[in-house]
Amino acid sequence: MDELRLLQELNVRKLQMQTRRHFLQKCSTGLGALALGSFIGCSDSGKPLQGINPLSTKLPPAFAKAKRVIYLHMAGAPSQLELFDYKPELAKLDGQECPGSLLEGRRFAFIQGVPKMLGPQYSFKPYGQSGTYVSELLPHFSKNVDDACVIKSMFTHEFNHAPAQLFMHTGHGRLGRPSMGSWITYGLGTENQDLPGFIVLVSGGKTPDAGKSVWGSGFLPSVYQGVQCRSEGEPVLYLNDPKGMDRNLKGKLIEAINTINEEALDTYGDPETLTRIEQYELAFRMQVSVPEAMDITKEPASMHALYGTSPGESTFANNALLARRLAERGVRFIQLFHWGWDAHGAGREEALNMGFKDRCKEVDQSMSALLTDLKQRGMLDETLVVWGGEFGRTPMRENRDGKVMTWIGRDHHTECFSIWAAGGGIKGGIAYGETDELGYYGIKDKVHINDLHATLLHCMGIDHEKLTHSFQGRPFRLTDTGGKIIPGILA
Amino acid sequence: MKWYCPSFLLCAFLSCTATDKTYQNLPDLVSYNEHIRPIINNRCISCHGGVRKKAGLSFLFPEDPFTALEDGKPAIIRGQADSSKIMQRILHHDPEERMPQKAEALSGYEIALIKKWVDQGANWETHWAFLPVNNPTIPSSPSSPHPIDRFIRAELNLRSLQANPQAEKSDLIRRLYLDLVGLPPSLETVDSFENDLIHYEQLVDRVLAAPGYGEKWTGMWLDLARYADTRGYEKDAHRDMWKYRDWVIRAFNQDMPFDQFTIKQLAGDLIDNPSTADLIATAFHRNTMNNDEGGTDNEEFRVAAVIDRVNTSYEVWQGLTMGCVQCHSHPYDPIKHEEYYQSFAILNNTADADRDDQAPTLIVYQPLDESRADSIIQFISGLNPGKNKSRIKQLESDLNELPSASLPILTELPAKQKRVTRVFERGNFMLPGEVVRPTLPAILNNQIKPDSVSRLAFAQWLVSPSNPLTARVTVNRFWAQLFDKGLVATLEDFGSQGNRPSHPALLDHLSWKFSNDFQWSVKSLIKYIVTSETYRQSSNASDVQLKKDPSNSWLSRAPRSRLSAEAIRDQALAVSGLLSDKMYGPSVMPYQPDGIWKTVYSNLQWVTDKGEDGHRRALYTYIRRTSPYPSFITFDSPSREYCVSRRITTNTPLQALVTLNDPVYVEAARHLATFMENEPGTLEVKISRGYKRALIRDIAPKTLQTLTELYHEAARQPASEFSPLMVIANALFNLDQFITKS
Repeated sequence: MDELRLLQELNVRKLQMQTRRHFLQKCSTGLGALALGSFIGCSDSGKPLQGINPLSTKLPPAFAKAKRVIYLHMAGAPSQLELFDYKPELAKLDGQECPGSLLEGRRFAFIQGVPKMLGPQYSFKPYGQSGTYVSELLPHFSKNVDDACVIKSMFTHEFNHAPAQLFMHTGHGRLGRPSMGSWITYGLGTENQDLPGFIVLVSGGKTPDAGKSVWGSGFLPSVYQGVQCRSEGEPVLYLNDPKGMDRNLKGKLIEAINTINEEALDTYGDPETLTRIEQYELAFRMQVSVPEAMDITKEPASMHALYGTSPGESTFANNALLARRLAERGVRFIQLFHWGWDAHGAGREEALNMGFKDRCKEVDQSMSALLTDLKQRGMLDETLVVWGGEFGRTPMRENRDGKVMTWIGRDHHTECFSIWAAGGGIKGGIAYGETDELGYYGIKDKVHINDLHATLLHCMGIDHEKLTHSFQGRPFRLTDTGGKIIPGILA
Repeated sequence: MKWYCPSFLLCAFLSCTATDKTYQNLPDLVSYNEHIRPIINNRCISCHGGVRKKAGLSFLFPEDPFTALEDGKPAIIRGQADSSKIMQRILHHDPEERMPQKAEALSGYEIALIKKWVDQGANWETHWAFLPVNNPTIPSSPSSPHPIDRFIRAELNLRSLQANPQAEKSDLIRRLYLDLVGLPPSLETVDSFENDLIHYEQLVDRVLAAPGYGEKWTGMWLDLARYADTRGYEKDAHRDMWKYRDWVIRAFNQDMPFDQFTIKQLAGDLIDNPSTADLIATAFHRNTMNNDEGGTDNEEFRVAAVIDRVNTSYEVWQGLTMGCVQCHSHPYDPIKHEEYYQSFAILNNTADADRDDQAPTLIVYQPLDESRADSIIQFISGLNPGKNKSRIKQLESDLNELPSASLPILTELPAKQKRVTRVFERGNFMLPGEVVRPTLPAILNNQIKPDSVSRLAFAQWLVSPSNPLTARVTVNRFWAQLFDKGLVATLEDFGSQGNRPSHPALLDHLSWKFSNDFQWSVKSLIKYIVTSETYRQSSNASDVQLKKDPSNSWLSRAPRSRLSAEAIRDQALAVSGLLSDKMYGPSVMPYQPDGIWKTVYSNLQWVTDKGEDGHRRALYTYIRRTSPYPSFITFDSPSREYCVSRRITTNTPLQALVTLNDPVYVEAARHLATFMENEPGTLEVKISRGYKRALIRDIAPKTLQTLTELYHEAARQPASEFSPLMVIANALFNLDQFITKS
């Protein structure tokens, strides 16, 4: 059926092509919107319908609150006990041996034998009308707490970085599944066809532990994978014209290619040829639209002051400002990674009293600026912003190889960690979930990663049980076989 | 729950609907596989299958619907539709009780089919793919000398479709070369074929004997083997796997029979007196990932590797989705949860254990040093260790100086150290259940009944005459490479949720020939297929063909398909004269943009190879799982994290940016421009020769005009390092017909 309808459309498009003028004047909405029609309309045979732009906008249902996501991932997993989960009781136990009941049958990455408890290293105060507790390390963010929902009762099953990052972004702790951004662009397409629909920005000098797999498309078509945009070198790989290729000539070149490809279309009637013609036009436009979007020097001084940016470098602050620019331009999923949060205490950069403080400084002002900026532009209501790591940190001080370490740090912890979410569909000014007095276990309103995903998809207007794709004989989804929407955090 | 159903209601229903003329088309004999199974699979099995068994009812195993349910009665009574609960429930007047629950009712036709089937005795049939392969009769008409064409044309006739005539010779030779060696033919070969100096059959023999043949098919196999040069996860450190890749190339080039190819890869270490090559082959299952991240549980990732081996083995050889059975019984196919772990047990006793040192490994040498190393080793073994102590020491140090690599291989644990395998509840290795013995799933195995199946016996069983799937799954893979689509479209799933074959008899014909007449020779199979008229026909599509068969399922024309990531790059290097024909050895690092590898806790660097190694076939490019070669990923090559049977082809603007701007293609354009420059004659002749070199066919007048105008446009620009002829070459690399096989 789909194929017959496609052929009819193909004929219409052929006619249009015969009469159209210069392609650069033409706006390309593609024929996708027409053919895909229904929401989440990709054929579940795995192949995007032929000759159709798989990224064309698909209309979300009325209950969608958010149009796009900005996800700020702090790779390495920041300590909740130094930022959001205030534990005065833990301070009293500082230096005492960890009770055996907390160690029995547990698996830790590095802790051995009996570690000592470690009290919060920074002071906390309640902020805003909500009175949400925030540490002294986030002075800017403390002014924005009434916009955000801090979830203190997140938990995961993976206690190593790469699997935990995969779990956080693909809903599964092993390689091979599509990432959240891929699922969402697969479900909703994107609003601006001149930019990729799923853009990734990386700072901190390294890609996340799980590499590019955390923005991979897994078994979904590769058109849905995240496109890394870079502050240094070409903003998108192979975007720049080769040396000596003039921009006007490039236009003529693409025109000639498409003229010849139209002849092939006449001979073979292959819908792929038609798509290819459109993709060459789009590539030509992207060569202008991507550098334009990525150029933050055009922003006024007030914006640079707000975010604390330094143009030309790949800093988190620059990426936060870029995230807003991309959101404005209709990019569906904007994923930031900032590396360097793995505060074991095995070295200066990894110490809670050293490198960790620097990381907080690097992100505090700009993540708060992002919320302020989106709000003043009236975009926060339709933009879902999420901040967090891949797991938590132990209330015990790390004792690698059973020894006292020079620097102060905490090991990986799966039982509880804190994240925050704000904007599109999320209730601001609340803290959700509770942990015990030591900050070891979640004790109230525990949130599984599948639940978080189900809720984020819900805010985007997607039923997480219906966004599926068949692979190796069964329908897969971001939330795997679980996931419950968390009504308590919805606006 | 109410179970009564007044039979008058049933009769009333059937009598009023039976007049509907669609029911006059009911088959005389209702077949379970053809008529009933599709209804059950689409409408019933998700609640009455291997995962959920509502009211105790399942349709998976033949005995299930005929045995008493929770309420003591069976769902189906053979020959008695009216008294069978299945009919009562699908016709129930109360929407709450009516099956399928909370879903649209079955159609009147479907209901009539089920009724007739039950009345006729409810004969159960095994799923087609689990039945033995037999040698089907070749259709006598239409008269075509090649059996493949007879099977294909019989179906075309049914649909009033006509096969296309043979493709233009230039298109045919390009298709044959791209399909069989992954590279375009040289202009000299094209000339001799076009001028009848060489016949098609001779051409086929020549192509099958070319070294590039093995490289092309290895590309397909490495997707299945999830081959990469690194270990995956956080550090994603280097691993010496290339020797395995070289083994696959040699195996294809030597036309190693597929049964041997199978046994060596799965159990080469267990055959009698295994050679070094046999041990190298076992690296197939060492392509599983390792997690070297600090603080990981090695057993957790060892188990993950064995799970991947089970799933991969079944997908590659059986086309079965065993991954489903890891956590619970198969929802759609008759395979039980514990049967998964019985297969797991077969593969659970290799010595590897997610160790950082990759042990066990085999010391292997680079191609040029191989014979030298062999002769030193032989010589040493011939010396008397007592008498020739210093000589041996010297020779050993000579050997140590040869650059070597450590290839991870399979070895079996000694009997004393054998691991006990238990069922993992919900697939979780932290929740071990009942102990299981190594053995095979019952549905696939009615011949061998040992209580303990070794890895070698498993491999031998896969290629034994009693295995219904290996030959079918394998011929279907090769067919799909040549026709863009398998006879079973779901290459990875021959189970009941996979597609049914478009040409079941042809599939069995090919499977039978492959495993019997051809003795598992892949070259014979490929030759048999490419000499058919079906393969040789043109891919032009008429309006009638587009209308009657839009997706070309019936092959009234040759398919068009975009080339693979590897072939697109190899082709550009080949037609520009840059491609190196060097084979084998460690993976190479051709140009890639700076700053792609910024991985944590790793010193691995991309050091661009200069000279010949910068222009090797794409097959030899270093693959890092967490950061694969970017332009290949853009053209849909997988990241090799898991077994992939079928690449999904996309069509994106990022692909256009690669072939337009990637320095690899710019360099190739420069060399193709030089070729054009050096061709004697007018500008038109130069462009025509360049076009012929790249696309093999002759240029059409309109295309020549477009390109000539483009040339003049470029010549009007101020002189730059992008010469006007380079612009032409750049255009050629971006033509639909260049990146597509017609």
